[in-house]
Amino acid sequence: MKNPHVFDTFKRIAITVFFSLLFCLVVVFLKNTCSSMIPIGNRGIRAAIEAGDLKVLFVGSSTFRCNIDMPTMDRVTDGQVFDISYGGNQLVAVSVQYDEIRKRSDNRYDLMVFELGPLMLTEPVSLSDSRVIWDLSLEGKRKLWEKMAAGNNTDLSVMYEYFVTAGMDDLLTYPVTEPFYATRYYKGAKTDEAVSPGREVLENVAFDLTEASLIAEQEAALRELIEKCQADGQNFVFLESPVYYRLQEDPVYQKYLAYFRQILAEYGADHILASDIPFDTHEADYFEDINHMTAEGRRIYTEMLQKELIP
Amino acid sequence: MSLISLAFLLFFIILCIVYYLVEGKHQWKVLLIGSIVFYAFAGLFCLVFISISVVITWFFMRKPDKPHLLITLAINLGILIAFRYSIYFGIHDLIIPLGISFYTFMTLGYALDCYDGKIKPCTNPFHYALYIFYFPQITQGPIGTWQNMMPALLTPHAFDPENIKEGGYRIIKGCFKKLVIAGRLSFYVDTVFSSPGGFGGLTLITAVFFYAIELYADFSGYMDIACGISRMLGIKLAENFNRPYFSRNIPEYWRRWHITLNEWFTAHLFMPAVTSKWNKKAAKAFGKLFPKAKKGTLRTILPLILVWITTGIWHGAEAVYIGWGVYFAVIMLLSFCTASYMKTLKVRIHWNDENVWIRIFQTLRTFIIVCIGEVMFRAETLPDAFTIYHTIFTNTRINGSAIAAALTPFGNGNQAAASIIIVGLLILGLFMTELQQELHPDRVLKHRYFIAGALLTVTILFGMAGQSNFMYQSF
Repeated sequence: MKNPHVFDTFKRIAITVFFSLLFCLVVVFLKNTCSSMIPIGNRGIRAAIEAGDLKVLFVGSSTFRCNIDMPTMDRVTDGQVFDISYGGNQLVAVSVQYDEIRKRSDNRYDLMVFELGPLMLTEPVSLSDSRVIWDLSLEGKRKLWEKMAAGNNTDLSVMYEYFVTAGMDDLLTYPVTEPFYATRYYKGAKTDEAVSPGREVLENVAFDLTEASLIAEQEAALRELIEKCQADGQNFVFLESPVYYRLQEDPVYQKYLAYFRQILAEYGADHILASDIPFDTHEADYFEDINHMTAEGRRIYTEMLQKELIP
Repeated sequence: MSLISLAFLLFFIILCIVYYLVEGKHQWKVLLIGSIVFYAFAGLFCLVFISISVVITWFFMRKPDKPHLLITLAINLGILIAFRYSIYFGIHDLIIPLGISFYTFMTLGYALDCYDGKIKPCTNPFHYALYIFYFPQITQGPIGTWQNMMPALLTPHAFDPENIKEGGYRIIKGCFKKLVIAGRLSFYVDTVFSSPGGFGGLTLITAVFFYAIELYADFSGYMDIACGISRMLGIKLAENFNRPYFSRNIPEYWRRWHITLNEWFTAHLFMPAVTSKWNKKAAKAFGKLFPKAKKGTLRTILPLILVWITTGIWHGAEAVYIGWGVYFAVIMLLSFCTASYMKTLKVRIHWNDENVWIRIFQTLRTFIIVCIGEVMFRAETLPDAFTIYHTIFTNTRINGSAIAAALTPFGNGNQAAASIIIVGLLILGLFMTELQQELHPDRVLKHRYFIAGALLTVTILFGMAGQSNFMYQSF
């Protein structure tokens, strides 16, 4: 290292790498600690907490987001309703989200409605929607990560995605994209006028559930969620959202529906099945795809649901 | 073992330490052992076949006469054809030895050069093995020549921080291209090309544009990483890319894209074909059909077609690759045959090639012609490619719903807007970096540390983790 040129080159390489890594570390640290504090107008955990005490709080996946019509629910709840939903939200994540709501507020919820998605029991534990990362505090992120790691579904690249890259696009483009996203939601649910692709498409959509198998971590999370609600004295119900009849009648779907109900029965937990509501799951006009409803289906279903939910 | 994996990082650090600790005269042995270990990670099955190729080629080419050359060519081409085109023999799911197309061409190039007397046959089989096995280039090239590579591989290299700096810069640049640009675009491209019939013209145009960028970022990204790794060991590999999308015509484009493959075809197929007897006869026959055409032009017609169809077949046995080869053969022929007419015409209409707007026009035109060809290169079947052409030319509308539809392959609405902004910014960043390199290379050199730092930061924060497979690996 006596040669000053050699020393200078190494010094400059070291400085470049050091400052790049330092900058990245600062950004990653800020993202993980502060993302849950960034105002998101009309969806997610933070917005739900800011809505204050509620008569009904839905917590579920995109099925809730598409299938619950918030203006209809507003009428029967005096506007005290909100929907926390994330794409493919998993039972493991819902359990962490429940903790997060409890930890970050003293809000009272007359009724919490969780999703009774039979296939949620068969989802390998993963980060299904990067928005979950945004809305969780550092503690929440850690908890969810531990659950993911316990499911043996993690490696270094998953960890990297979870703590470093997830949500980075949204973070960087927040000032531009947030106003755009805000137009698409009302109290956490979708507002778009989705239409059906037609019976022919829905009848031919391919899905294969034969590989589905029970995931122990999801079952454990469901049990944990029920136990936490019961311990907190929280009034809650599990709601099976109607799906297109082809999926609904699938034997694998029915098998896990029966198992989900069995778990709920063990705890004496209330639930509302799709079949409890006179909604026509054969009507193609009501479905955007086999899981999600069109705007028309959403309104009709929510009209029927609110009578069952809030007698 | 991918060049962008932690396992490789560990392997490379150990190799580097040992490489610079041993005496200079033994360095090539470290490289050979390291390269064999690297290749063995692809599986012992692969190692067996490459070893057969190495031993046979070295053994037969010690005495480079015609019979020995023919045996060497037959065995190596036989292995290549058996593996790459096994699908035509009704054999599916055959494990193809890693980098077989690349190392076979290096082998053939060596054998042909020995036969032509351009190089002396190698006396040490281990030297020859190192030439073939050298790990930075074995999976995807560049297809280095014996003359260029061996002196560098056998020369002792003292530790030089300049090599670390230059190599590190290339590696960071390559990782940025692969993990950030190609990694992000692949989601969109894969979604659209997997079922092109389900998308409108605007979405397909976007996918074709993205694919052109993805292919460049992926392949040239690999080359940057490979060259960077090799540079850290003090060995300069041949360059395979020279900012091809800034080319102003198709022949120039092919002088700047996959340079070593095109040089190989020029040296070992095109030139011998041009000077062959059968081609002279064919040129005479063409001369009767086109009496005004120049002799030189007539002599290039068949060799050009031969080279381009072979280039297509080199990429794979599927019809899409042959279609792609035929497409570029036609374009190259048109370009070649009309060159003198165009020259006269340009003088008559006072067309100034150096005018900045004309340069931009020519660059865009070349890029579009390339993109049209790349549709066949990426489509899963030829009918898929024709569906894409048909939809683009008959069903392209630019309105609100078409733009919204073009965003959907980025994911659901919650990700699409952010993704398109980030992807747009990243492509712009890549374009600006390449443009600066094209126009002011000295300026890029001056700000190299800053650019490296920025690329490293962006790669860490926006890279797609887990994307370790490169597109050309499958060739």
